[in-house]
Amino acid sequence: MTRGKIIDLFIDNTAKAAAEPVRISSSDELNGVLARILAGSDLIFCPFVTEQEKAIKLSPDKLTRDYTAASACVEEVFAAVAETGSLVWTSQGGKPVQAGLVCTHHVAMVSEESIHETLDDFFSSLGDSPPTNITLETGPSRTGDIEMTLTIGVHGPSRLTVIVF
Amino acid sequence: MRVQLFGTCLIDTMFPETGEATLRLLRYFGVDVGYPAGQTCCGKPADSGGYSHESRMAARHFISVFEKTDGPIVIPSGSCASMVKNHYPELFRDDWQMREKAEAIARRTYELSQFLVHVLKAHEAGLTGKGKITYHASCQLTRELGVREEPRLLLKSLKGTDFIELPSADRCCGFGGIFMAKMPEISMALADEKVETIMSTGADVVTGCDHGCLMNIADALRRQGSPVKVKHIAAVLAEGLT
Amino acid sequence: MSDPVTGVPFRANAIRALSDSALRAAMRNATETFATKRAETVSAVPLEEWRDQASDLRLRVLDHLSDYVDLFERNATRAGAKVHRTEGAKEAREIIASILRGHGIAKVVKSKSMISEEIHLNDFLQKQGVKVVETDFGEYIIQIAGEGPSHIIAPAIHKDRRQVGKLFAEKLGCEYSDDPMVLAAIAKKILRKEFFSAKAGISGANFAIADSGSIVLVTNEGNGRMCTSIPPVHIAVLSIEKIVPSLSDLPKFIRLLPRSATGQILSSYMSVITGTRKPGESTGAEEMHVVLLDNGRSEIVKGEYREMLKCIRCGACLNACPVYRLVGGHAYDSTYPGPMGIVLTALLDGMERAHPLLDATTLCGACGDVCPVKVPLPRLLHSLREQRVEKGFTSRLEQMGMAGFGMVAQSSSLFNLGQAAAHLLWPIARKIGPKDSLDRIPRPVSKTFRKIVS
Repeated sequence: MTRGKIIDLFIDNTAKAAAEPVRISSSDELNGVLARILAGSDLIFCPFVTEQEKAIKLSPDKLTRDYTAASACVEEVFAAVAETGSLVWTSQGGKPVQAGLVCTHHVAMVSEESIHETLDDFFSSLGDSPPTNITLETGPSRTGDIEMTLTIGVHGPSRLTVIVF
Repeated sequence: MRVQLFGTCLIDTMFPETGEATLRLLRYFGVDVGYPAGQTCCGKPADSGGYSHESRMAARHFISVFEKTDGPIVIPSGSCASMVKNHYPELFRDDWQMREKAEAIARRTYELSQFLVHVLKAHEAGLTGKGKITYHASCQLTRELGVREEPRLLLKSLKGTDFIELPSADRCCGFGGIFMAKMPEISMALADEKVETIMSTGADVVTGCDHGCLMNIADALRRQGSPVKVKHIAAVLAEGLT
Repeated sequence: MSDPVTGVPFRANAIRALSDSALRAAMRNATETFATKRAETVSAVPLEEWRDQASDLRLRVLDHLSDYVDLFERNATRAGAKVHRTEGAKEAREIIASILRGHGIAKVVKSKSMISEEIHLNDFLQKQGVKVVETDFGEYIIQIAGEGPSHIIAPAIHKDRRQVGKLFAEKLGCEYSDDPMVLAAIAKKILRKEFFSAKAGISGANFAIADSGSIVLVTNEGNGRMCTSIPPVHIAVLSIEKIVPSLSDLPKFIRLLPRSATGQILSSYMSVITGTRKPGESTGAEEMHVVLLDNGRSEIVKGEYREMLKCIRCGACLNACPVYRLVGGHAYDSTYPGPMGIVLTALLDGMERAHPLLDATTLCGACGDVCPVKVPLPRLLHSLREQRVEKGFTSRLEQMGMAGFGMVAQSSSLFNLGQAAAHLLWPIARKIGPKDSLDRIPRPVSKTFRKIVS
């Protein structure tokens, strides 16, 4: 599959999983898009570990270092998988993976190059020693435990935005 | 062509009219039908209860009766045909001589709708029927013999009949052989659900290839006061024969 | 729990369930939804090819089970986990309790784990003075209700929203609501506090990876991740047949499990945890224990029922089973219900307890059709029926009846005699015999088909 088709497949599947994909043409647009998406959030957490994360600009009075207090969490993925529309988070670089779990709105930044076509591609890219903690996130947190009625945002975030750049 | 008919104990004992319909149907296609006199029961009731010893007794008898004959063995029952084709060789897994005999018998055996479609091409014979009809797909017929299309092909080919696909056609009706006797409450509840789907089709007749199922379904229709008739596929196909 | 000597009172349980209209409606809704969604998602994929591959992989592991367990133990230890290999349930419970005692831990958060149900872990820990907080929404509901799970994927599916609303109002003291969103929000708020205050998290594992010593957790809520990455101590409990050779094999199972279970392409959260938190990391337990439970598996793997150990606990067979769909899981009065439950209960608890469950099947075969790893459930159920007879767990009356059947089936003259007798004695049989069977079948005819044809 061509890179273009892989990206399309990823965006398609991430939408099917009830995430909100946003595609931008370059990382220059990121700050503008982030500002728009996060306009309604009062406190935002960002790990500021990756280069891309360090490059984003968020209004300082909204930023917090305490992820348990944040309503939104913005971070760059470790990888993504087109086959399932999944985001991959790992504990590498000291990232608190649980930050994206406890917020209400999780915002994921995904570079086009980081998208693997299949689960097999992703797992074989890990080699012999995988990071201690890997989480594949596919859509927001949900349950159907009462009468099979879908409820979004049990434990985890109720909203997942995926920005592909 | 000459075939050997295994009537099945249910048809022999309770539904002889289906046996008669089967004869009429096969003869219509020019088939000469033999009925080996010593036949009894294929052994399924014992087999499904886990009584392999008694099941083998019935199987040995079946094999000894039919091995004296030639030609296809035709059985108007999915569960009996599957018993012979799939379970007989298994029953004799520790006895290679009987196993070989069982396999030879199994190779000759057809369930009726299999035979009608694959050998006689009865679905292309322009048979006729009447009314709205729906079809219950019994479990061993569908899952063990893989017979799914044949009964439908036959029924859809009937000029004058309106065939309606039954929702969840292959869902178990609750007969299950001895299950009907051992777990009557669940059996009846399952039959009631089957009847619910039958009534939703608006059909006048429900048909199938297995009298065990049909018997269970007929009971549920009776309990619910439904006028829907229950007929074995042989009877449905034979009805329009002149 | 039923008396182990007399066996599970399945028929009585089932009769009760059949008259519970709320339960029947709930079960119908749940199993129809799961089955329909599964059918939709598998129709778009090369399912047979995937099933074959997954089945082959499972068999490969089962063929070398103890080697894979050794490999997993080595690698998990290397990654920083402490591995405890235990034979039986008692040993596993005690090890877990002693780990908690050693840390002075009085409260744990728990992610859904069927193996923990199998070893009755919660009860044991509560008796040791440890508060166990179930965090899976369905498990939380039944924990409050004091019940066991009725479905291996959706534990509270036998309850409708009104019942859950009433339960929460009674036991949690909140205002009554039967809106699932409101109820979920109430649970979320309570459990959020628990995640952050518990000193240990207990999880199961959907799979364990031998090559890397990792465990894999799949949830839709994210509670599995939260139980295992927030508290400082993580205890994972799993049975040995969950082991998969390497991470590159994982996709074969991950493609099948969520599709078969809930009709999803992938559950919302899948976590792969490889040992403890390393220096510089901000996620994960500092101390990790993996309790590897045998509980009969290494015996089962040697025998004719070994293919049951391929099971990946998806629940598809439950949703396909005509009996389970009607009566729900509690009627089986066992850790595992439905077709896989009948087989596992027979294998783990023995025929003494399980024999009535062998009547909880019509042998329709629907379960075998949907199993993603091709466990030959219909064949195993049939073999267990044979075993039941051989071990003498059927009634004298039935045995005599079958002996009579055997004699009659092998002699056409006896058979004819039997038919004639059945016709003649029918009115008497109807009077004195079991009405709920005989009332439902027609009278044997006097002119049998044989007589017509001869």
